[in-house]
Order: sequence, then C-alpha cells, then structure tokens
Amino acid sequence: MFLTKRTVREAALIVGVSAVLGLAVRAPLVVRYLRGDFKGGFLAAGTFPGVIQISLAEAEDLFARGRGLFVDARPFEEFRAGHIAGAKNVPFATVDERALAALMTAIGPDRELVVYCSGGDCLSSLGLARLLTGRGLKEIRVFPGGWEEWTAAGLPGEAGE
Amino acid sequence: MIRNRFVLLLFRIVVGGLFVYAGVLKIADPIGFAQDIEDYRLVPRAVAFFTALVLPWLETLAGAALVAGLFKRPSAGLIALMLAGFIVLVAVTMLRGLDVDCGCFGALSRKAGWALLLEDALMLFMAVQLAFSRPDRLPPS
Repeated sequence: MFLTKRTVREAALIVGVSAVLGLAVRAPLVVRYLRGDFKGGFLAAGTFPGVIQISLAEAEDLFARGRGLFVDARPFEEFRAGHIAGAKNVPFATVDERALAALMTAIGPDRELVVYCSGGDCLSSLGLARLLTGRGLKEIRVFPGGWEEWTAAGLPGEAGE
Repeated sequence: MIRNRFVLLLFRIVVGGLFVYAGVLKIADPIGFAQDIEDYRLVPRAVAFFTALVLPWLETLAGAALVAGLFKRPSAGLIALMLAGFIVLVAVTMLRGLDVDCGCFGALSRKAGWALLLEDALMLFMAVQLAFSRPDRLPPS
C-alpha cells in the first residue's frame, strides 16, 4: 500500500524541513516582507532597479524625438502582422543569449530602450526587461500599454519583418 | 506498473535530477520566482511570497532524496503531487490565454505552453511509477 503511515510521516518531514530551510535561509527577506517592502509588487521593490514603466505619452515622446529603440517582445508572427514603426523583434518566448547580446550592441549611446508586448495582460515585455538588467543599461523602459494602446491611439505602425 | 529495477533507477535520476536543478535555480532568486508566481494572477501576494521561499527547497530536497535513494516513496509522492499541481496550473493558464513565463527554471524559463505540459506529464508518469511500483528483486547470484 502506498499511503502507509510511515510514508505520510516521511513526506510531512520533507515538507517541514523545506519550510524551515526556506524561511530561515531568507530570513532577511521575510523581515522585509513583514515590514511591507513588497506592497507595491516584487519587481517594483528595487530588485530590478533599472526597469521603469512608461505611459503612452512618454513612449510617443521618445518615438517622436527618435530617441527610443523600440523592442517588440511578442512572437515573430504577431510582430510581422503589425508593430510600432521601426521596432526590433526580440521574441521573449525564444530569446537566447545571442539575441540579447545583439540587442545590446544595437542600442546606440543616445537611445533609450523601450520594451513592449501586445498590451493589456501581456507580461513578456517585463520578462525581457528583467533579462536585460545587469548588462550596463542605466534604465530599461517597459511600455505596458503595448501594441494595443499604440494602435488605438492611431500612432504609426508597420507590418512585415 | 514498471518493475524493472534499472528503469526505475533511471526514472529516479532523471526526475530527481531535474527537480534539484529547478529547485536550486529558484532558491538563488526568490524575488524573481515570487514575481513569476504572481504573474499567474491566481494567488494573493502573501501566498506567492511564501511559496517562492519554500517550494524551491521542497523541489530540491525531494529531488535529492529521490536521486540518493532515501525516502523514495514519500519523495516520489511529493514530486508527483507537485507535478500534478503544475499541470493543472499550466492548463488553466493556457485556457485563460495568459502570456506567462512558466517560472519553472528561474530566469531560463519558457512560456507556459504545450511542450511544458507534455514534459510535466512525462515526469508525472515516472514519479507515479516510483511512488507505487514494487521493484523486482535482484535475481539470486
């Protein structure tokens, strides 16, 4: 029989030890949590300091001044169907070290990186931004409104590769 | 049920090894993992936080025990339960049409999708064999 008392007891022991270790090893984090440091979200709590979220107006401003390098984190098919004019496609789902390195060299000294995805519920832009932290960029901008908000506002897009 | 000792040993090494690997990667980055859990938008922040601290250790310890051959049945049982949970989670996420990073292997994670579901199902099969099967005795030498 699988569920003997002994099996259950041993399983409970493994769970218990995991809980104790997990909390003990990260005790400082638990303290920070209890202090309310993470009320604004985990990422916003200074763990990924360079990542900032920008509004449509800020994205539009960077676009109009030619200061933004727009990076589309959606899969290639969605990118091909339509994207912010001049954006570069770096699909988060398949991104690798080479693509990240190529992106880093594509950013000129005067340009700001703006990562976006479809908008609404999408999270791949934030994921990509996280992968890009710690590579010497001072700020990585995430435009959460994404492609949906951009087209809804009638701003320039293009299709193709 | 598979009873061949060598097949079962192989299962233990594959499943246990993958769990240790996945667990250690996440132990290294609890905040990133907490965010990954929160991205699924299923549980409150407190649950995401404490799960992010404890679950990676559970994966690591159960995986290590399985590889080492200690507490084989309970650790295989725990791993099977975790995998069943992951499968439900990924399936629900796909049904909801969310674009979510699975969070399974820390920063190296892929999106929650069919391939992931298949891998989890395969591992679940192996873990269930390990939890229930009675290996053949070695032939007398």
